[in-house]
Amino acid sequence: MEIRKVAVLGAGRLGRGIAECAAHKGYDVILFSQGARGQDALRRIERSLDRKLAKWAITEPEKRLILGKISYTLDLKELSKVDLVVEATIDQFYTKQELLRTADHLCRPDVVFITTSSTLKVSDLARVISRNDSLVGLHFIPPVPSVPVVEMTTAYNTSSAAIETAKHFASRLGKKVLTIQESPGLVNPRSLMILVNEAAWMLSEGVADVRTVETIIKESWGMRQGPLEIADRLGLDLVLNWMTQLQAEFGDRYAPCPLLRLYVREKRLGLKTRLGFFAYTEDDVLVFEEEQEQED
Amino acid sequence: MKIFVLNCGSSSVKYKLYAMKNEEVLAEGQVERIGQDNAVISHQSRGKEKVLKTMSILEHTVAIKESLRLVTHPEHGIIASTDEIDAVGHRVVHGGESFSDSVLIDERIKQILDSLASLAPLHNPANVLGIRAAEKIMPKTPQVAVFDTAFHASIPPHAYLYAIPYSVYQRHKIRRYGFHGTSHKYVTQRAAEMMGRDLRELKIISCHLGNGGSITAVKQGRSVDTSMGFTPLEGLVMGTRSGDIDPGAIFYLMEQEDLNLFEIDSMLNKHSGLYGVAGVSDMRDIENGIREGDKLCQIAFDLYEYRIRKYIGAYTAAMDGVDAIVFTAGIGENVPLVRKAICSKLGFLGVKIDPEKNEKRSVDLELSTPDSRVKVFTVATDEEVIIARDTAKIL
Repeated sequence: MEIRKVAVLGAGRLGRGIAECAAHKGYDVILFSQGARGQDALRRIERSLDRKLAKWAITEPEKRLILGKISYTLDLKELSKVDLVVEATIDQFYTKQELLRTADHLCRPDVVFITTSSTLKVSDLARVISRNDSLVGLHFIPPVPSVPVVEMTTAYNTSSAAIETAKHFASRLGKKVLTIQESPGLVNPRSLMILVNEAAWMLSEGVADVRTVETIIKESWGMRQGPLEIADRLGLDLVLNWMTQLQAEFGDRYAPCPLLRLYVREKRLGLKTRLGFFAYTEDDVLVFEEEQEQED
Repeated sequence: MKIFVLNCGSSSVKYKLYAMKNEEVLAEGQVERIGQDNAVISHQSRGKEKVLKTMSILEHTVAIKESLRLVTHPEHGIIASTDEIDAVGHRVVHGGESFSDSVLIDERIKQILDSLASLAPLHNPANVLGIRAAEKIMPKTPQVAVFDTAFHASIPPHAYLYAIPYSVYQRHKIRRYGFHGTSHKYVTQRAAEMMGRDLRELKIISCHLGNGGSITAVKQGRSVDTSMGFTPLEGLVMGTRSGDIDPGAIFYLMEQEDLNLFEIDSMLNKHSGLYGVAGVSDMRDIENGIREGDKLCQIAFDLYEYRIRKYIGAYTAAMDGVDAIVFTAGIGENVPLVRKAICSKLGFLGVKIDPEKNEKRSVDLELSTPDSRVKVFTVATDEEVIIARDTAKIL
């Protein structure tokens, strides 16, 4: 089946990134979200495209074309029109279960489902839907448009046709697909959580200030963003959620650092609240605290 | 003999059916927006009404099938069946170092073409798609590949090599390939015809000036240098491409604006050239801007014209003289202002053009005065007829 219309369920950072990327590659995208954030998803995608335009990556007509290919809706009935479903909601089993069941009921039977979950197993999610051989795990890593790899996992009975469909979709989005065994946290989030947690511990222990810790890790390993900025951009609540789930699975080596719990309690959630380990401007640019103080 | 010429892009197919006896076009048309529900087909057979329709065409095989259905249609077509087609000629953009001439396509050739995809990622895969689709529909009809780069295979090493480590050339085949070869070949042949002289005794500079543009030095009918290089980005100022730029400026810019490879590539290919300087990429808009006193349009025009003139000077030196200069493609055929600006400053070569003739558009015409030492022509390019000729020659 030729895939032309793609549903992206969830308009968070991951969902928006997948929607933008898919539209850029010529797919028609319907973005679904029931949360409050969904309302301004298109505006945020436009802002992301404006940043690309400012860096010459796209032209004004290309920007218009990409935006024209994305529509936003609250109405799940629209799922009857799509050729592929990408589920990109928060990693909570019951939220995903409910959404996948609804989509299973509304979509044509030949439509393949993709889940972006990183801590939940594809096998467990596949069990809740009738098309249990058509769910594939593709973990897109934010920022989706610029990260070139995705981690792929499948359940024991996932059909080869569904795997091919998912691989083809990811390849068309310009991603290298790397297949791994089903394991909570996959490779990327599991290794990242250790790094973020250890950096948070170093801050708590007063080993160095936040900027120094981040700079040493980032520049010594040639990373584009350091672990604390990555965590901020993911959302510290999401990071804490992942860590808690990984702790349940792998034990105390994933026990979240108290500083992380404190920040989440204080609603200091990173980019989405403009303050996490670092502060962020309205244009999502990281500001180091001393610069902020000078401005004040 | 009847030859069907196909030019497949990523979402379009252009075709022409030739009767080779008089090189007569029996039918021509194009399919645009392949992959969409509202693909548009336009078709016209000789002496018949133009057909225009919109339909869902999701892939190239369907597009080619549809074009052949129209060519053989009892009402809109011109031949009774595809059996009348003796061969299919395909435009292939990049032949790399493997092809210095057109070839009959077999399995081995297709494998080589697949391996060349990385040299022209936007064009070659679509060209190969067209070849496979045509084979599927007409399995017994010979298929011939005609390469844009082949005409430039005669360029000598001192003109095609870059002065970078030789091992890099050997490993990655980084060298000047040149493009628009079929067009340069056609217009120089045509100019020699119009001069009534043998191409083998002439030195001609051919200026293909479209949205993309390149200049070629053609000595004794062979390309000896051309302005486009490893990619179509080098050389002239184009609609949205920068043409020649100091590579050092690119590194500096990447550092200053924190640009990655994709961003700098997009900047130089899509945001530069006339558009980058003046904000408009179409030469008609530049002309309007100049009339209205827009300084940036004037600067863009001057940059554009100067770069062409500089290449003409360089290629005159490269060939130790020049007998004729030919202008072709969208701007070369239709913008007298560009030809005038260039030719009026080539007096040192003995170039003189007739201002009245220079106002003519889209015709094959000599623009130079009888006493001009260097002849100047405008020629409407016809890449398809070269593809048809090469295909017929190979059979």
